[in-house]
Amino acid sequence: MRNNLKFNLSGGHSERELIRALAQQYTIKKQSDGTERHAFYDTFDWRLFNKSLVLFTSGNRLYLRKLYKNSLIENIDIKVVPVLAKDFPKGRLKDRLLPIINMRALIELVVLSSRLTLYQVLNQDEKTVARLFFEKIHLSNAGNPKEIAAYLWLKPVKGYLKYSQNLTKRLEESGLTLERNADLLSIAMQVTGQKPGSYSAKLNIPLNPEMPANEATKTILRFLLQIIKTNEVAIEHDRDTEFLHDFRIAIRRTRSALGQIKNVFPQETTERFKRDFAFIGKLSNDLRDQDVYLLNEAAYKSMLPLVLRDDIEPLFDYLKKERSKSFRKVVTSLKTDRYRRIIRDWESFLNVPYHAAATEQNAGLPIIDLASIIIYKQYRRALKSGNRILENTEDEMLHRLRITCKKLRYLIEFFSGLYPRKKIERLIRQLKKLQDNLGDFNDLCVQEEYLLFMAQNLPLTSRQSKNTLVAMGSLIEKLNTKKQIIRKNFPKTFNNFSSPQNQQFFIELFVLKLKKALS
Amino acid sequence: MKTLAIYSNKGGVGKTAAAVNLSYIAAANGMKTLICDLDPQSSATYYFRVKPRIKAGVQGFLKGGKKVYKSVKGTDYENLDLLPADFSHRKLDVSFNRFKRSNNRLKKIIAPFKSEYDLIIFDCPASISTLAENILNTVDCTLVPLIPTPLSVRTHQQLLSFCNKRKFDLGRIYLFFSMVDGRKKVHHDLMTDIAGNFQGVLPVIIPYLSLIEKMGIYREPVAAFAPKSPATRAYGDLWHKLEEVLFFYS
Repeated sequence: MRNNLKFNLSGGHSERELIRALAQQYTIKKQSDGTERHAFYDTFDWRLFNKSLVLFTSGNRLYLRKLYKNSLIENIDIKVVPVLAKDFPKGRLKDRLLPIINMRALIELVVLSSRLTLYQVLNQDEKTVARLFFEKIHLSNAGNPKEIAAYLWLKPVKGYLKYSQNLTKRLEESGLTLERNADLLSIAMQVTGQKPGSYSAKLNIPLNPEMPANEATKTILRFLLQIIKTNEVAIEHDRDTEFLHDFRIAIRRTRSALGQIKNVFPQETTERFKRDFAFIGKLSNDLRDQDVYLLNEAAYKSMLPLVLRDDIEPLFDYLKKERSKSFRKVVTSLKTDRYRRIIRDWESFLNVPYHAAATEQNAGLPIIDLASIIIYKQYRRALKSGNRILENTEDEMLHRLRITCKKLRYLIEFFSGLYPRKKIERLIRQLKKLQDNLGDFNDLCVQEEYLLFMAQNLPLTSRQSKNTLVAMGSLIEKLNTKKQIIRKNFPKTFNNFSSPQNQQFFIELFVLKLKKALS
Repeated sequence: MKTLAIYSNKGGVGKTAAAVNLSYIAAANGMKTLICDLDPQSSATYYFRVKPRIKAGVQGFLKGGKKVYKSVKGTDYENLDLLPADFSHRKLDVSFNRFKRSNNRLKKIIAPFKSEYDLIIFDCPASISTLAENILNTVDCTLVPLIPTPLSVRTHQQLLSFCNKRKFDLGRIYLFFSMVDGRKKVHHDLMTDIAGNFQGVLPVIIPYLSLIEKMGIYREPVAAFAPKSPATRAYGDLWHKLEEVLFFYS
């Protein structure tokens, strides 16, 4: 009863009549009315929505609440909502948001304006014993502001709950109903035609096990193309680094699918697009590298001793300059005829329906059989190459294993819809642990090399140069120590991955199923 | 949670006016605040238009727990709740004495409020007694309004020597000047004197203003019905000084 109650007013109840009716029994005083602007925020990939969180401003305050709940989790004073979580003022809200949103930009989803009229219900001492808010909500910015919801809020006052209980009874008698299951954000999204949760870079491709392999592969590639096209337009606005990142992953996955799902398309088509997508991938290599270094700026600085922290600054200044050059290059390259033609040709190729008369060896195979074969083969390959590393410790071989594992991961994700979800999740969890180990190792190698390269090429004025080089040297040392630790963990991580139970698990999931199908 | 007592062993020095306005200002600054009216005269309760009644009276109050918790009333202002006084509070002193370790009883009574409020302000009756000991034992900071007259100074010295005997931390007792009449030379002279001789004097002056007395007519804090008045400004200054004492030094 302590919580605020929300009644739906959309049934045509008028504020004046309700107040008049209540005034026969209670002393009611109008306190104020005003308009408030509410703006709702989320990231492009709906990270807050996926966690059932709603972030919105009302006046100069920023609030966080659970979806479908009215009670607030956090709220702070704020004039302008920062685009990135790292720019939020220190505090609990930032601590809560940062792990969820990470490096993604907050985007204004919708702006509403709500007209609030506040009435106080008074007792004989003229003490407020309950409050009534009438709230009418419109879509802002629309030329013809349309009312999308109207509510009457009953706010009880502590120690005077009887009044609120009686008022609730009265309101229900006059035909009002409590609104429990509507969230303003969902209503606004419906009106504006936005679909919360509609974009995710995760692969969730519905496949039918009996589909011919050619058709299934095209379904996967069409899904990836959609991600490419969605992000490609947003890269230019440069709101955050993840549009480019998602774009690049989709390109890499496309290349991986073309390379690994063999003999489902004509040879020359596959070869042509492999070349084309390799070309597209290369366009943004520099930009992504620079993004990664800049995203890690704070982490790098925290690795350095205090005396050297400012000395690393010239490196990041230089990177920022280089990044804006690379960014302009990427934006231009995505508008070139060559790029546009590749995407156009690719799309029309993917839209050609499957022909039963296709001559490629695997084109007509049920996709589940083909998928099981290539996933299992790739798993064997990873095992073999990992076992060799246990005996011999060359960095180059770790790198190769990383690529093999990445290919395996992509395959499992492409075809995850064909297998029991829980089992696939378990597999991916296992694989991810190994990939994280390998990935971290590789990142550190690359960073080390990059810093050495920069030490040779960074344009420095003589006064800064020595300290900056010292700082970079210190960073390399720290990275190297980390690298050794990760390297040490490899055998344990790999042994988990290649354990007999896990091997059996792969066999059950992919080989036995296949045998059943063939017999 | 921080606790603050507005206390004086002399009556009519502006305790309640200070307690009511400080609690209002603290709440308006976003702090979840509870004002506890311990004075059987129940003036603070009256200012907030609440009936002076506690569930099960003084016995209920001393037992603590649910009965006290349920007696709390929301005021007309956001973030500000009130634990009303009850006429039976006149017996608080005698009743405290019945408990073993009676000096810690108040601490127990307010324990359930710890998680809910950022600040609890006690409006205390004028006396040196078991209740006063309880209060001095419980709170982070005691704020004494002092009218700059010789009699007030004498009463304050009594309080300090009482605290000394009972080994209370004098460093947690703060003073401010209350009901100051700017036209009186004696007020000016004594203020300089006091500031030199006593510890913990906050450099804030609450003038003698009829607007503050009008609180009894409007039944609202000055800060609510005359937000731009000099009285409100003075209480605002007092709050800022207290904020430093309560939240930055401790």
